[in-house]
Amino acid sequence: MGGMSFAADPHAGIAAVTQAGSTEQLLLTLLLVLPIVGFTLTVVLGRRLSRPWIIAVPTIIVVWAIATYLSVQALIGDAFHGGAIQTTIYEWIPAGAFSVSFDLFFDNLTAVMLLVVTTIGMLVHVYSIGYMAHDPGKWRFFAYLNLFMFSMLLLVLAANFLLVFAAWELVGLSSYLLIGFWYHKRSAALANKKAFLVNRVGDIGFALGIMAIWTTIGTLDFVQVFDLLPAQLAGGHIEQWMMVGICLLLFCGAMGKSAQFPLHVWLPDAMEGPTPVSALIHAATMVNAGVYLVARSSPLFATAPEALILVAAVGIFTAIFAASIAFTQKDIKRVLAYSTLSQLGYMFAALGVGAWTAAIFHLATHGIFKGLLFLGSGSVIHGVHEEQDMDKMGALRRKMPITHWTMLIGSLAIAGIPPLAGFFSKDEVLGEAFKLGFQWVWLIGVVVALMTAFYMFRLMGKTFYGESHVDPHVEPHVHESPPTMTVPLIILAVLSVVAGAYLGLPLGDSTIHHWLAPVFHPALETMGVHAEPYQLFGIDGALILVSVAVATIGMVAAWRMFGFFRIHDRLDTVRALTARVPTLYQGSFHKWYFDELNDLLFVRIGGRVADAFAWFDVHIIDGAVNGVATLTRRAGDEVRQSQTGRVQNYALGIAGGLILIAVILLLVGTR
Amino acid sequence: MELPQTVPFLDWRWDDLIFLVLAGTMLGSALLVVVGRDIIRSGLFMVLAFGALAGLYALMGATLVAAAQVLVYLGAISVLILFAIMLTQSKAGPVRLVFHSQAWAAAIAAIVIGGLLIASVLLTSWPLAAAEPIVQTARDVAALMFGDYVLAFEVISVLLLAAVVGGIFLARRDDIPDPSDPATRIEDGSASRVTGTPGVLGGPARPAEKP
Amino acid sequence: MSQSLDAYLLLACGLFAIGTFGFLARRNAIAMLMSVEIMLNAVNLAIVAFGMFIPALAGAGQVIALFVMAVAAAEATVGLAIVIAIYRNRRTPLVDEYASMRE
Repeated sequence: MGGMSFAADPHAGIAAVTQAGSTEQLLLTLLLVLPIVGFTLTVVLGRRLSRPWIIAVPTIIVVWAIATYLSVQALIGDAFHGGAIQTTIYEWIPAGAFSVSFDLFFDNLTAVMLLVVTTIGMLVHVYSIGYMAHDPGKWRFFAYLNLFMFSMLLLVLAANFLLVFAAWELVGLSSYLLIGFWYHKRSAALANKKAFLVNRVGDIGFALGIMAIWTTIGTLDFVQVFDLLPAQLAGGHIEQWMMVGICLLLFCGAMGKSAQFPLHVWLPDAMEGPTPVSALIHAATMVNAGVYLVARSSPLFATAPEALILVAAVGIFTAIFAASIAFTQKDIKRVLAYSTLSQLGYMFAALGVGAWTAAIFHLATHGIFKGLLFLGSGSVIHGVHEEQDMDKMGALRRKMPITHWTMLIGSLAIAGIPPLAGFFSKDEVLGEAFKLGFQWVWLIGVVVALMTAFYMFRLMGKTFYGESHVDPHVEPHVHESPPTMTVPLIILAVLSVVAGAYLGLPLGDSTIHHWLAPVFHPALETMGVHAEPYQLFGIDGALILVSVAVATIGMVAAWRMFGFFRIHDRLDTVRALTARVPTLYQGSFHKWYFDELNDLLFVRIGGRVADAFAWFDVHIIDGAVNGVATLTRRAGDEVRQSQTGRVQNYALGIAGGLILIAVILLLVGTR
Repeated sequence: MELPQTVPFLDWRWDDLIFLVLAGTMLGSALLVVVGRDIIRSGLFMVLAFGALAGLYALMGATLVAAAQVLVYLGAISVLILFAIMLTQSKAGPVRLVFHSQAWAAAIAAIVIGGLLIASVLLTSWPLAAAEPIVQTARDVAALMFGDYVLAFEVISVLLLAAVVGGIFLARRDDIPDPSDPATRIEDGSASRVTGTPGVLGGPARPAEKP
Repeated sequence: MSQSLDAYLLLACGLFAIGTFGFLARRNAIAMLMSVEIMLNAVNLAIVAFGMFIPALAGAGQVIALFVMAVAAAEATVGLAIVIAIYRNRRTPLVDEYASMRE
């Protein structure tokens, strides 16, 4: 932790929770009410509006303003003294001892998440006005976007695990609806089904984790869980392995939502949705929910080092695995999707090594520059008439100058070139990993940094530089996008330049550390992590030099091969190189055959197993049930023969029974 | 003329004589009700049996119940039953088989039940019972009925109303069935077999068959 | 001799047995209903006898007997209505021809 000078500060202890004042309560409620009202109105009226965005976009701008006001109050104004505010909207599930309230919770972590979510959300809404201008179903699009904003805001504002879970499912639903926005496209329909199913796998883990928390700790409220946990652990009420189990289950949910290996398969396919959706949901916000969940549960994870090691391993493996696939993909959005996987892997690696702040830092900066890159790719796709294959692009630099410059900034940022945003956050992740004793994470991370720089500039080269491979019929019509699209690009580009420096400086004692220290202080205490002094001219400086150096190497290598401004591409060399390692190339191109493996495991083998179970169900279980029924009916048929249907026979039976009872009573009664 | 204190020659009290006569009449006519071949005679003997019972009530001193017995049973229910007999009397006259095939078993069961009841009455001593009936005026009974039992009284009135409505509903003839409409044709071969009439409602005679 | 509780109760027992026999043995539905009435009257006789001979009951026997009569009247109304309705469908008052409960 590059210089946690405040870790020893007694005032930075466990964050105090206070009841929200009436103003804050109103604002927090409005954050949720406005998008859901926007959603409802757009659903009801949208079809009849000439401009379907007229409700949705202003709503989100207001939401952004409120969120920014609250976050600035908390982070810069220090209005809540580093603590949290909580407010109960109503009691959601009162069931005896089990009670879950619809509580909202706001601390510095929430504030950072709110800034990321609403800023990018607002820009994507504006961008969509231009991007979706010609789509006949755009009212649906804006309605879904508002629904997503509601769900995502609920997710970061929720004060207990169950409410998070509800929001978790709601963002999943919005994601499903938006991936399948063009539902008439078969690939889109399949992709949203895939996303939904893969997410279910993770959600089962999450749900089980929540149940485990309830049974062991007895509450689902964040503050109460974190308050009760240390005493219960110390008192021996909770076994250590139970904590590991809970954390692994929660992480399972995070893996699904944040598309970590092996549940990563849905995210690249999710690119079937409109590009603003890819930018907002599948790069900048929703996929971060897993990172947020683990960070929010940091006091739990801190008690389970075994689980954290797995988090780090899965994260860093996903990082290098996804980066290796991004090398060879031809679809511009897929390259970015794999890049997203890779960067999410970084965040999980950071969480796993205990660098909580670094993970959230990278989450924020990644949200900005990956949002920028996706929106830029959307602008490119728009410009070349819905073409996504990079082999049919090239030399777009002069025709789309704003898109080019902003995406260049985004690429430099993700590659980790100082002083852009990615440099600060990525260096923070890698440096923390090294200094906390996870040298292997650092080593793989550095390799991934090299790969990242390379594939990003491969993307830039194939798209903007070199020879033009654009379809000759389209070529003359290629144009720069309208201002509603370019202005968000410019804003995000500016943020990509300044955000890292603003949050990450001064090195070792950065702003974001100050902001998040109260949130992560309990976890760090539990783990026994203590700050080492920051050595710009020692170990830290050396680590920075290494990461910048590898990023530069990757970047320059890509320039040499795919072109950059006046450097010409050498696609022949590329072909020769790939021909020399056909196995690697094919493996990467086919995403290491992971979809095929899933197909084999779950569709073919799983299908056979399911067939076997179905046979068992039909013949054995149904057979038994039907057998009982048949037996009963046959027996009834037989016994029915003794029935005459004549009332008086039955009456005589009653008389016989009466006699029997009377005789018994007389015999017993007289004794 | 002054009656002697006891019945001449038998040295019985008059009460006892009246009791024996009424009891014999009641049991005898009740027996005739259940064994009589002609249902109309059964109905008339029932009237006689209930009349004798009313006499027994009066003999006990339960004059109000005796009056009600005359009104309800002799007046209302008997007439109702005689009407029902008239409505259901088939043209073939009295059926030869009065008794069910289980009549012997029924006789045994009835005798056993009666024996058991009598045995239990005789085996029980009634320590609280008085030797003579207690005098209860109609005023006493009325005070009880409209005092302690007024709720039951009201409930009974509702029950009677429900019974009247239900009786009308059940016995009402919906509409005359159309013989040409197979949906309203009576589909019971067994009925025509027993009564010996050809197919109901003038339709063609159909062989009796199990549905 | 006659003016005792036992005498009336024995009479009631005999009447009840006769009613039972009629109910179990007669084929005619109306005869069965008459038998039911006989059984009800037997019970009523017992109730009145108890009421008259046991001071603790203080006249309640008569009240209950009157209620039983009312219920019996209701029963007779509905019972006869049912008999008539069935007769209209089956064209016979003979109960042992009604075997549709078997199906």
